[in-house]
Amino acid sequence: MISVENVSKIFNEGTPQAFEALKSIDLELAKGETMILMGVSGSGKSTLLSLIAALDKPSSGKIVVEGELISKLPDLHASAYRAKSIGFIFQHFNLLEALSVEENVIAPLINSGLDIKTIKEMAAESMQNAAISHKASQQVKELSGGEKQRCAIARALVHEPKLIICDEPTANLDRENSLKFIEILQSLHQRGKTIIVATHDPLFEALTFVDKVVHMEDGNIVGADSISAHN
Amino acid sequence: MNNNAFLHFLTLLLFKQKGKHIGAVLISVIIIFLLSSVLFISSSLQSMLLGTLESQSDFTVSRVQAGKAINTPSAWMDKVLEINGISQVAPRIYGRYFFAPREESFLLVGVDLFDEQSSKELRSLVKGLDLKSFLSTDSMLVGEGVKTFLSEHYYKEYFSFKTPQGSFKKVKIHQALPSGTNLIANDMIIMPIELAREIFGLGEDEVTDITFNVPNDAEWDNIIGKLHLLFYDVRVVEKREIVKAYENLYNYKGGLFLILYLVAMVTFMLILYQRYSMVYSTERKEIGILRAVGWSIKDILKLKFYETAVVVLVSFVLGVILAYLYVFIWDAPLLSQIFLGGANLPNHVSFVPVLEFGLLGSIFLFYAIPFLAAVLIPAWKIAVTPPKEAML
Amino acid sequence: MNEILLSNEVIVYLLSETVLYFLLFIAFLATIGLLKRWNFDAFTTEQFALENRSYLVMTIIFFVMMLKVVLLPYFVYTIDNLSDLIPGAMCGAGVVKANEYGNPLLALKIIILFLSALWLSMNSIDLKEKNYPYLKLKSWFFVLIFFLLSTEYLLDILYFTHIETTNPVSCCSVIFGQTGGANGLPFGLDIPKLLILFYLLFALVVLTTVSELAVMSIIASLLFGVIAYYAVVYFFGTYIYELPTHLCPFCMLQDHYFYVGYLLWGLLLLGLFLSIDAAIMQSFFKQPAKSLKRISLLLLSLFVLLCSAYVAVYYLKNGVLL
Repeated sequence: MISVENVSKIFNEGTPQAFEALKSIDLELAKGETMILMGVSGSGKSTLLSLIAALDKPSSGKIVVEGELISKLPDLHASAYRAKSIGFIFQHFNLLEALSVEENVIAPLINSGLDIKTIKEMAAESMQNAAISHKASQQVKELSGGEKQRCAIARALVHEPKLIICDEPTANLDRENSLKFIEILQSLHQRGKTIIVATHDPLFEALTFVDKVVHMEDGNIVGADSISAHN
Repeated sequence: MNNNAFLHFLTLLLFKQKGKHIGAVLISVIIIFLLSSVLFISSSLQSMLLGTLESQSDFTVSRVQAGKAINTPSAWMDKVLEINGISQVAPRIYGRYFFAPREESFLLVGVDLFDEQSSKELRSLVKGLDLKSFLSTDSMLVGEGVKTFLSEHYYKEYFSFKTPQGSFKKVKIHQALPSGTNLIANDMIIMPIELAREIFGLGEDEVTDITFNVPNDAEWDNIIGKLHLLFYDVRVVEKREIVKAYENLYNYKGGLFLILYLVAMVTFMLILYQRYSMVYSTERKEIGILRAVGWSIKDILKLKFYETAVVVLVSFVLGVILAYLYVFIWDAPLLSQIFLGGANLPNHVSFVPVLEFGLLGSIFLFYAIPFLAAVLIPAWKIAVTPPKEAML
Repeated sequence: MNEILLSNEVIVYLLSETVLYFLLFIAFLATIGLLKRWNFDAFTTEQFALENRSYLVMTIIFFVMMLKVVLLPYFVYTIDNLSDLIPGAMCGAGVVKANEYGNPLLALKIIILFLSALWLSMNSIDLKEKNYPYLKLKSWFFVLIFFLLSTEYLLDILYFTHIETTNPVSCCSVIFGQTGGANGLPFGLDIPKLLILFYLLFALVVLTTVSELAVMSIIASLLFGVIAYYAVVYFFGTYIYELPTHLCPFCMLQDHYFYVGYLLWGLLLLGLFLSIDAAIMQSFFKQPAKSLKRISLLLLSLFVLLCSAYVAVYYLKNGVLL
């Protein structure tokens, strides 16, 4: 499903502040698998995620997702790819603060060509699944951290993406909410979604449904464990 | 493509973030209000003038000597009448009467009221004019400005004109001219021709000029030629020249204003550019999020374009409505003096509403194109926000 | 200062053109940058910046194009209004003829609109691909259009600064009329032949468009455009004016004729643009252009119907033809 080949990312290339965030990374992930990227902050996890989600472009190398070369897509196609295949859950939730929960959840579908009625039905279903329906018309800025997280999940899943990417999803959550989040991940895994989670939260270290744990350090992959025995 | 969802989202954003646009709307409303007020006034004046001039004669001839108009012999009328294609020839006495104590002057017009055409014109000008009582004593019709001026000087019912011989002529103020004619009749006095002759001290068989109509437009140039053959000392004034002169005058005033306004427009564009660069820079995060959830550069540009279009339309409608109220309902206090100022007597004009599609279109283009152009580059800058911005 | 330049419409028009030209100039500079440094295979920050800049170029062109579509009728309206100021002119025809810049300017405006429409079509197929295959081509094409636009802007200024309000110009009946029985039609045509040609060419345009003969369709559209112009001026126009001697493409833009000229010429030009655009998209870029074709045929049919309707209504009302 995902293959990352020899990918490097240099920020501020050609300037004295040049910084190599990723150094010739290779990575493979099959459809339906769940992968945990472990590493301290600054190790390159987030950068790798942003490249896979086509939020940014690599400085060299190839990223192929479902047979499509996404490392060099023009904007229109990159956006279509994000809108269709990616569900991204950000560390800081990244919700549109001025809008309500429902309005945030419909945002990814606005340009899909669907009519507003269908979009609202899809949003309602997604909010139901993420257990946030009761707050649908509440302003995002009035929500608690856990509720924001669920709103972010509802938004990430509203278009039924095949690939779910989470960047430090539990960094701003208490233990109880973190455990709830892991439950949701597990149910997504059971529904056959491909999942990548970047985290340094030890809660993720010994999860039974995880297929791969990859450790990163200084833009390199320093170790990968396949835990396929569990499945 | 279903725009329904897009419009829904657009309205949402606009309503939740009205605060961002209020500044731009306010400046725009002021800009459009001033612009449309001035143009409304000038186009209303133009159409009022055309309406008033319509009933005037096509030609006016007078005798000249050394390039100056002198008294015209009445006998010329018979000669003019002989030219084919001419109708409604009428004598006229037309001149300025100076009110010595205040150095103000009135426009005195003497009309031959026994001439059927002239009296008909007068009656259509002043509805319900009782000619019998008007002619029974020495009386006159006065413009509003004259009436106000005279009553301020305690001439409530009569006014005494001083003739060149030094005698006084007492004339009754019969009635004021309707205020719709204020634009050209504000300082005008209309009276029977004999009375005017006496006040100006003209001879029995003299008038100041002769007016006539030529119903067939195509003959106009011919007629002018024939007149010059008949009299070697004649000056011919055509109505179309007067109309054009007036039209140009108000067009100038409108045009000059527009040129001065160009400076304001450039400032306006700079303010908008700054304002929107600022507003959009606060949206970086928000746009980054939208980009991250799958909005393309094109989608964001579309969103910004529609947002701006709504701001432009709302301000345009507000500005035009305000200007309409100001000019046509409240008769444009202050501004009207720019157009009417310089007149002899204080004038008060009620503007007749004239709304032309072309004028509104011009105002819209004059304002909307600079507006949209000023916002275009800030909008592009924000639209190409990398989606990675959302992760920061 | 000359009184033409103080007319409201001329000021508004020239301001609009200046603002748009300024934007186009920015787009032109950006395009030169694109042409010099574009390399799609590069992974550099610069290349990503160039991709963003190409969006600035297309945004500006799209915006300017939209406004030029509005400004063309506004230009005609301005000219029509100026006819009050210029001795002898009864409608736009005389004002356009007031100096040698008028006619080339009007023609250039129409050509530019057409080329920009073509550019936009090209741009949209370029964006559909995954590697911007036509970027260089469309950039060069824009450079060409930009030179035309510069000429247009120059002509705009020359035209409006060189209209004399003292020299009388001819009115339309002199410009288009058959003075002394001379026939104003080209190619030795007379009215019946002109009409036969008009309807035949319309049929040909429909046939070639439907049967996807791209090159034929372009030729047929261009010919139809020329013949339609003469047919309207020399035949259909007379029914709009209800006067057999009134031959003029401009008078019908005035309010006595309910501004029908804007509709009539608008339908014809837009219909032709789209039909040629569709044919080029199909033959050179292998793009299906079904909806373009459908709209263009609809517009052209409306044009032919509207023209014919004037004749039919006149006949029904008066029982005779002019």
